[in-house]
Amino acid sequence: MALTQVSSNKCCGGFQKVFEHDSTELKCRMKFAIYLPPKAESEKCPVLYWLSGLTCTEQNFITKAGSQQAASEHGLIIVAPDTSPRGCNIEGEEESWDFGTGAGFYVNATEDPWKQNYRMYSYVTEELPRLISAHFPADPEKMSISGHSMGGHGALICALSNPGKYKAVSAFAPICNPMQCAWGQKAFAGYLGPDKSKWETYDATTLVGSYSGPQLDILIDQGRDDQFLSAGQLLPDNLIAACTEKKIPVVFRLQQGYDHSYFFVFSFINDHIKHHAKYLNA
Amino acid sequence: MQEQDLYNAEEGSAEDQRGVWGGSADGEPDRELRVPGKAERHGRQSRTKIAEEKRLKEKKRVTPPPSTFQRFSVDTNESLHFEPYIPSDEDEPRSPSFRGATVFSDEVFEEEGETEEGPPTEDAGGSRVDLKEGLGGHSERDPPDVFCMDCKVPTQASQKLFGPHKDHRVIQISRAADEVKEDLQKGMHKLEEQIGLMENFASHLEEIFITVEENFGRQEQNLEQHYNDVLQALSQRNEQGAAQLQDDKKLKLEALYTQLLECGKTLDVSKELIEEAQQIYRDEDKTAFLQAVTPALRRIEELSQDESEIKLSSSMDFENTPVDFSDVKQMMDSVNILPAPSAPVINPQVPNSASSTSARVCWSLFSNDTVDFYDLHYHPVLDDATFTGLQAPDALEIRVKETYCTVRELLPNAQYEFWVTATNTTGVSPASEKAVYMTVPSPPIIKPRECASCPEAALIRWESGNANPVDSYTMELSEIGAEGGANAVTESIVAVPTCECLVQLQPGRHYSICVRAVNIGGPSERSEPIIIQTTGTSFHLLEDTAHPCLSISSDGLTMFYTDEDLPLSGMVFSDNTFARCVAVLGELIPVRGKHYWEVEVEDRTEFRIGVAYEDTQRNGFLGGNSTSWCMRHVITPSRHKYEFLHNGWTPEIRITVHPKRVGVLLDYDAGKLSFFNAHLAQHLYTFQCRFLHHVHPCFALDNPGALALHNSIAAPAYTMFN
Repeated sequence: MALTQVSSNKCCGGFQKVFEHDSTELKCRMKFAIYLPPKAESEKCPVLYWLSGLTCTEQNFITKAGSQQAASEHGLIIVAPDTSPRGCNIEGEEESWDFGTGAGFYVNATEDPWKQNYRMYSYVTEELPRLISAHFPADPEKMSISGHSMGGHGALICALSNPGKYKAVSAFAPICNPMQCAWGQKAFAGYLGPDKSKWETYDATTLVGSYSGPQLDILIDQGRDDQFLSAGQLLPDNLIAACTEKKIPVVFRLQQGYDHSYFFVFSFINDHIKHHAKYLNA
Repeated sequence: MQEQDLYNAEEGSAEDQRGVWGGSADGEPDRELRVPGKAERHGRQSRTKIAEEKRLKEKKRVTPPPSTFQRFSVDTNESLHFEPYIPSDEDEPRSPSFRGATVFSDEVFEEEGETEEGPPTEDAGGSRVDLKEGLGGHSERDPPDVFCMDCKVPTQASQKLFGPHKDHRVIQISRAADEVKEDLQKGMHKLEEQIGLMENFASHLEEIFITVEENFGRQEQNLEQHYNDVLQALSQRNEQGAAQLQDDKKLKLEALYTQLLECGKTLDVSKELIEEAQQIYRDEDKTAFLQAVTPALRRIEELSQDESEIKLSSSMDFENTPVDFSDVKQMMDSVNILPAPSAPVINPQVPNSASSTSARVCWSLFSNDTVDFYDLHYHPVLDDATFTGLQAPDALEIRVKETYCTVRELLPNAQYEFWVTATNTTGVSPASEKAVYMTVPSPPIIKPRECASCPEAALIRWESGNANPVDSYTMELSEIGAEGGANAVTESIVAVPTCECLVQLQPGRHYSICVRAVNIGGPSERSEPIIIQTTGTSFHLLEDTAHPCLSISSDGLTMFYTDEDLPLSGMVFSDNTFARCVAVLGELIPVRGKHYWEVEVEDRTEFRIGVAYEDTQRNGFLGGNSTSWCMRHVITPSRHKYEFLHNGWTPEIRITVHPKRVGVLLDYDAGKLSFFNAHLAQHLYTFQCRFLHHVHPCFALDNPGALALHNSIAAPAYTMFN
């Protein structure tokens, strides 16, 4: 798998790069962003995978979230992939901003015409880590995952479905219970078909109920003034209730005045990176 | 009397002793045994020896030597007490008195002497040899075969029956010889003992010489001083007398001079008058004469009548005022008397010479006095308040021979006044100046409940341990090594003015700390030590801030809010206690850096845990004001609710797993207060605050329940990420 560097900018003593490659899972050319901290010049570093939300590419996070400073300080590599396969020319993929292009929902689609390319779950959990380990000074044992909105949902389901694989997990305004919200229902219906049991494997709230594995420590930040929260798309209470029931440690912070934007992410990204660093650097 | 005997004994003893020496000790044959005169010549040597001995013995009596002397003199007297020997020409045996075994030996020698008289031509050696053989058998009769014990003469058996030995005890010569030999042995032993004693005595003589010199020196000095004093007094008198005479002379001369002047005046007046009178007399004019003559006549009459004092106004002679020499006489009388000592000089207290119950008092002689012993007096110095001056506390006395004394059974941290007098045979010296000595204080008592520690410092508090104030305290700390043994004191902090001290330490170590109280007497013994671990933070709860409904366990680490409904009247509030919030403050060391502690709570405990300024409102609720920050747990019907309160405001935070052990990290430098679920190593929340003052940990219970505080825990690694 050859990597082509698309861009490289020195940032906070390290380098913010973008690479392109041919993805075997997604069967198209995919870009991803990777931040290499100064420490990566001399030793292997842990990797934090950041999953972005609806309509985002690999660019949003690296230009808007301000994560490089904390990543540099804590010596973490941050990998931010795209949110869906691109250029596959699947009919209907451009119709809505919350389904199809830029809305992969981090599932492995089982329905046509999506199932060939829309395999973001496997891309994120398998192909990408192999790629990163092979081409960068990454410590394969130290991975963690985080994300925003749809990416938050992705981070949660990846962590809950792969006990022990991710040393830490956190999320910004995640879609906590997609089966119960409009976004999730639309996406799951499209990618997975009508069988709700398949939906459950990609729903954080249901996954919590059946989780068994090493203890998690989940940090969730949610803007209080997030329009999607009030619209009932995010449903954090459901997740919290489930975690309380299952005694899965979660700290959920409802941040007064903050909305769903990257300004919100920017405001708390340091806390999240510290949270990850605590476990990755332990 | 004894001297007399000794002297007499000399003559006798000389021979006899010589005899012994000659025979057994020296091996020198003695040739001049015949007459006392000759014996004297030799005896002179020994006599001088003995005379010396006698003189020494006299001297010895002043400073008695070890007991050998006593025995020696007694025994010598006995052994040397002889009747002067006057040899007779008789062949008859004499019957001297018996006086013990030693005398027995005399008889032996008398026997010898006696036998000598018989054949003048015999030499001493020969006769002695004969003696040794048992009998001087040089009689003109038959050889003797028996020996009369009574008369001490050999004789014949036949004589026993008829002769002078009729009623005496007579035995075989050989047996007699044996008996006599025994006696001889005894005598020799005795004399050997005496020799031993004498040698002992002789070896002491050197010391005696030195003592004599010393005493001589002292006496000489004394004498000189005395005579100097006397001479001084006399010359003083002389001067006084001379001065007095001078004055007298002056007075006399002045008086006489005045008189002279007066005489002169009178003479002048008189002469004038005469001239005048003559003039008047020559006046031819009778009338004028008669007129002028009357006053002149009158004046002449007056003058003539006025018998001027022709007496001397003061006598030519000088009186002899008797000079008062009584004090000089007294001085002369006391010349030979050993002066009483002058007042000794008492030394000031030497630092570190006292203990809490004793003091070592030292003094010295003012001059080279002879002193037999000292009396050290002392009594405690009382406060002016209790000491009226009329009732001086009874002084205790100790009699010592040295110039120092360790006085015991004193009270700690107390002042005593000491003074000392010196006494010799003449009398007692005046008292020395009074010196105040102080015993060291009792050791302080550290109060572990009131001590606190953190990774970089410790705050130690203690009780003085003394009723009266001390000057300062010294804190000593030593690091306890990994193997557990305490090293020598590694650090001392002196001049601590109050009963608490904050000391900087290294993190992650064990220290043993103790305190001493110090006054001018020195430092007290060490207090019982306290072990301090500079791991994590350790503090105690300030019970006097606790709301009356809170009760604190005896170790100060657990607080309870009991179910009982205490009536409001039954509660005791003070300015310092929380009145509404059932809260209590903890004592935290005022040291910057990080502090970490943990609190154990139960599932249903509704608590507030955080920090507050020392002056946080006692009427307020923790977290409800700007002077306190806390994490609050509330139980609602549906769920656990968590608040992070400051100024009445809390962020909205949901925590899914109830923390049973809350870790609190206070970071002064970063201005942060963080809370953790210690069991899960989960960060819960961090306040960002700029602390204006040092804060205290605070705890409250909103409902009946309990909180248990855990101290001395090092801040876990995960806490640094927040």
